[in-house]
Amino acid sequence: MGPLYPEHLNPEYNLLIGFLIGIGFGFVLEASGFTNTRKLAGVFYGYDATVIKVFFTAAVTAMIGLFLMHQWGWIDIYKTFYPKTFWIPTLIGGAIMGLGFVIGGFCPGTSLSAASTGKIDAWYFIAGVFIGIFGFIFTYDFLWKNLRASGAMGKVNFPQWLGIKEGLWIFLFTVMAIASYVIYDKWVNWWKTNRLAQEDIDDLGL
Amino acid sequence: MNKTDKIILGLIFLGSIVAIFYPDTKPFRRIVQRHELLYEINKQGRYLTVDEAAQHIMEADPSYIFVDIRPPKEYAKYTINNAINVPFDSITSPSLTGLLDADVYTVVLFSNGSRKADEAWLILRSYDYHNIKVLKGGLNSWYRNILDPLPPDPKFSGKQAWKRYMFRKGAQVFFTGISPVGNKPASKPKKVAIPAVKHKKKEITGGCG
Repeated sequence: MGPLYPEHLNPEYNLLIGFLIGIGFGFVLEASGFTNTRKLAGVFYGYDATVIKVFFTAAVTAMIGLFLMHQWGWIDIYKTFYPKTFWIPTLIGGAIMGLGFVIGGFCPGTSLSAASTGKIDAWYFIAGVFIGIFGFIFTYDFLWKNLRASGAMGKVNFPQWLGIKEGLWIFLFTVMAIASYVIYDKWVNWWKTNRLAQEDIDDLGL
Repeated sequence: MNKTDKIILGLIFLGSIVAIFYPDTKPFRRIVQRHELLYEINKQGRYLTVDEAAQHIMEADPSYIFVDIRPPKEYAKYTINNAINVPFDSITSPSLTGLLDADVYTVVLFSNGSRKADEAWLILRSYDYHNIKVLKGGLNSWYRNILDPLPPDPKFSGKQAWKRYMFRKGAQVFFTGISPVGNKPASKPKKVAIPAVKHKKKEITGGCG
């Protein structure tokens, strides 16, 4: 898991910490309506901005928080994990994931917390996830093996890639996130008032 | 956009502005506390005996790197096989961090005696370098015990001492080229250039998809 007191805490506690964080994560997903497919898919159909709001807020808060906490000596950011970048498979995988998101209405994490609230569509979604996993395993050698290693860029992050200061990148990304949220929010309001009738909104359960 | 949204966005924006004024992140270099250092000094675990050192060199153990901290002049005259010269004055220079603070192998410091190497060890340890050891007795002990070992006193020494003597005699052949029968001149140990070792920490694995 994370670098939480590595000198004082036995690594065996990592699983326990992960378990507790997982419960908290699931709770927040459910509380913010992320187990509702109509709310999740709304970001693609243009009537709900929750997904964009939550993901950008999470990314930006974590980015600023980790950066500042590292500067203040609270956490060693070099002990956190992030994977190497392979841009081609990431692009293709992202497209497949987005397609699944639109069609199924869940992402893998939200499907699990939705399943725990007893939604039948979430159980079907999880079955689909496993079909995908096993489909990948059995076709890996002849379909995905070469693709997986293509476009390797090594372990790199945006400021390194662009060659700019980390603080400047954080600022630029934050401005981009805030702008995209404000613009999207305005568009959602326009869409709701001009394109959706009241019964549509009631039907969507928003 | 309601009031809460505006407050949150404002805070995030403020945080990002603060972030601009900070320099780029660097890995932490922890300053080791005095009591920790004192504990390690008393533990004596930092010492490597010349016998152990000889063993590692003869086995060509790649996980050990021998670092001569004497001035280059003395290093040029004689040093242990495959030892690298890092003069005492420059042990903390940033360009050598990758060499001296690599978790993947053990760095053995030595000088003529133990004292200078001990001082270097203390400095490096206080900057939280790991896997640093000191050759006990330094080159003096190396010369007395490995290059020119004396047989143990037959009256007072047991089997163990003779075994050690036999090992040292073997090591003497290895390091000096003096054969047990007859004397051949000792060949000078080869000098090696400092390998370009990058700072390679253990990679952290984990995370989720």
